[in-house]
Amino acid sequence: MSRKSERLVNLTIALLATKRFLTKSEIFQSIEGYEGSEDSVERMFERDKDDLRSLGIDIEVGGLDPLFNDEAGYRIKPENYSLDLGPVTGEDIALLSLAAQAWKGQALNDVAHSVLLKLQSMGIDSDIDSVPHLAPRMARASDELATVLEAITTRNRIAFTYLSPDLAHESREISPYALASRAGHWYFGGLDSAKNSLRTFRLDRVVGEIQNIGKPDNFEIPPNFDLFASMNESSQTHVAVLDIRKDKAFALRKMSTNSSDKGEWDRITLNYSDASSFLDSILWHLDDVVVIEPPDLQKQVIASLTLLVKNHG
Amino acid sequence: MAKAKPAPIVHTERLLALVPFITAHQGISLKDLAAAFNVTTKVMNDDLTTLWMCGLPGYTALELMDLSFDSGYVTIRNAPTLRAPRNLGMEEIVALLLGLSLLKDSIGENMDFVDRINALAIRLSEKAGIPANFDVSNPVSSLIRGQIIEAISKQQPLSIAYHSLYNDEFSHREIKPLELRIDKGVEYLFAYCYKASSFRVFRIDRIQSLEILEKNPGQQSDVNDVASHGFISSIIFSSKLRLMKERFGLEDAQINENISIHSFSKQWIIRSIFASSGSAVLEAPSEIAAEIAQKAELMLNRYLAL
Repeated sequence: MSRKSERLVNLTIALLATKRFLTKSEIFQSIEGYEGSEDSVERMFERDKDDLRSLGIDIEVGGLDPLFNDEAGYRIKPENYSLDLGPVTGEDIALLSLAAQAWKGQALNDVAHSVLLKLQSMGIDSDIDSVPHLAPRMARASDELATVLEAITTRNRIAFTYLSPDLAHESREISPYALASRAGHWYFGGLDSAKNSLRTFRLDRVVGEIQNIGKPDNFEIPPNFDLFASMNESSQTHVAVLDIRKDKAFALRKMSTNSSDKGEWDRITLNYSDASSFLDSILWHLDDVVVIEPPDLQKQVIASLTLLVKNHG
Repeated sequence: MAKAKPAPIVHTERLLALVPFITAHQGISLKDLAAAFNVTTKVMNDDLTTLWMCGLPGYTALELMDLSFDSGYVTIRNAPTLRAPRNLGMEEIVALLLGLSLLKDSIGENMDFVDRINALAIRLSEKAGIPANFDVSNPVSSLIRGQIIEAISKQQPLSIAYHSLYNDEFSHREIKPLELRIDKGVEYLFAYCYKASSFRVFRIDRIQSLEILEKNPGQQSDVNDVASHGFISSIIFSSKLRLMKERFGLEDAQINENISIHSFSKQWIIRSIFASSGSAVLEAPSEIAAEIAQKAELMLNRYLAL
């Protein structure tokens, strides 16, 4: 193992240090480790180039002196190789480090660890005392998050099996545009080409593995894509008026846009968009909530209560 | 899952990362260096031995890196080519963008920092040529988690405003925080509660605010929250299976089959049945079913009287 990595490091150093393109024969003659028959050395070099590129190292291929334009040459431009974040302060480093630390022990742990090492190698001290004392942590995600992330960065389409509302297994194929997390869950979304519409999926409803399909650079990500906007089929908001008991229904109280004191109760006004989950939330609060408006919602609550009596009486 | 990188690639990546790291931390102990890279000192020693053999073509003392680590402390000279850390990869940039979005969500109204974070996100997003449309939050506030971690390390008591989800009740408690635990993705604080004079577990996302106390509060005798015993309910689902599976925390769910659910909170079962009115029916225990019917009847009467 160390023979190969030693050769890769030496190749990187040589290609970085050279001002002009190095030809293959120069590389084979001067860099340690390219030993064996001509064929095997060629194959070794091809693999090494692929390996360095898989690490994100940009190897440029170019001609030599126009008079001897018979063999391709290689080099790595230092400006492409090195980290350049522009002017950064110790405070910026502290914020970026916190952003990476949020992944500690989570789905992107290894990626974030490598980022942290780079930030710590810049020779700029992190000014952690200047930023608020925070301990950010990402919501839990399955390892498939890394696959979605990779697919977004390489613009690769993905295929997966998804649990429908009645727990049937559905096959889906999308061009993934974005990732987000809300209320402890991870979501990803993009264009479902079979349905020709934007769809959002909850990561923990994916069954098994997510597969990359097709080739990279398959699509463009629209700059203003909003994952949560495409999640609700109807983005229409409704207004509700509720009576809620004092010191109760904290979750609904937090959503209120207006509140007036009625003694034992408070009358609050609030907006909601997902009618079905709003109904569930009203019922969750039992007899601490009374729906005053809209009439539709009141009817639904009465129907639900009637059903509860019938089923449990 | 994303493909794991082959061992020599991971090794090369580490070797390349080591040079700038040591350059920025001249004289670091071998132990600390190994810890920073999450490897054993044996592996780090092997890495340094490999690096010691690397350099510019020629590979004489003039071209090789000058690496010293025999004393247990590591210094590097003559490695100008690899001195700068490597550029960020696409996945690294996106991981940072997601992290910055969470940070922004955590920092609240502190506009100076929000602007700072936005500026960093824009810079990274342009660098990667990827829109910064990431929207990340976590029900647990980074500020509250940070305060708890600090209080645990300094052994300081806390005063918390706690909202119990199942009882829908606010309480103020003085506690001695002991340990953070994560179970199935949910973060809990294990603490001694002075109010209950006993150890209690709190969900961190239910802590609405907290304050660090200067000294230990005295013993309080307000012991009315006795931990409840577990019981088994039997429930039948008729629709919305995915929602039922998630709401009741099940591995799987079937239509019209008796499902046994173990829980510690009667309130949780009753509320969950109400919220699932058209889709779930509680068959047993019968006294809870009777309580559900009674409560629903009472609520119905109130609507009819409106």
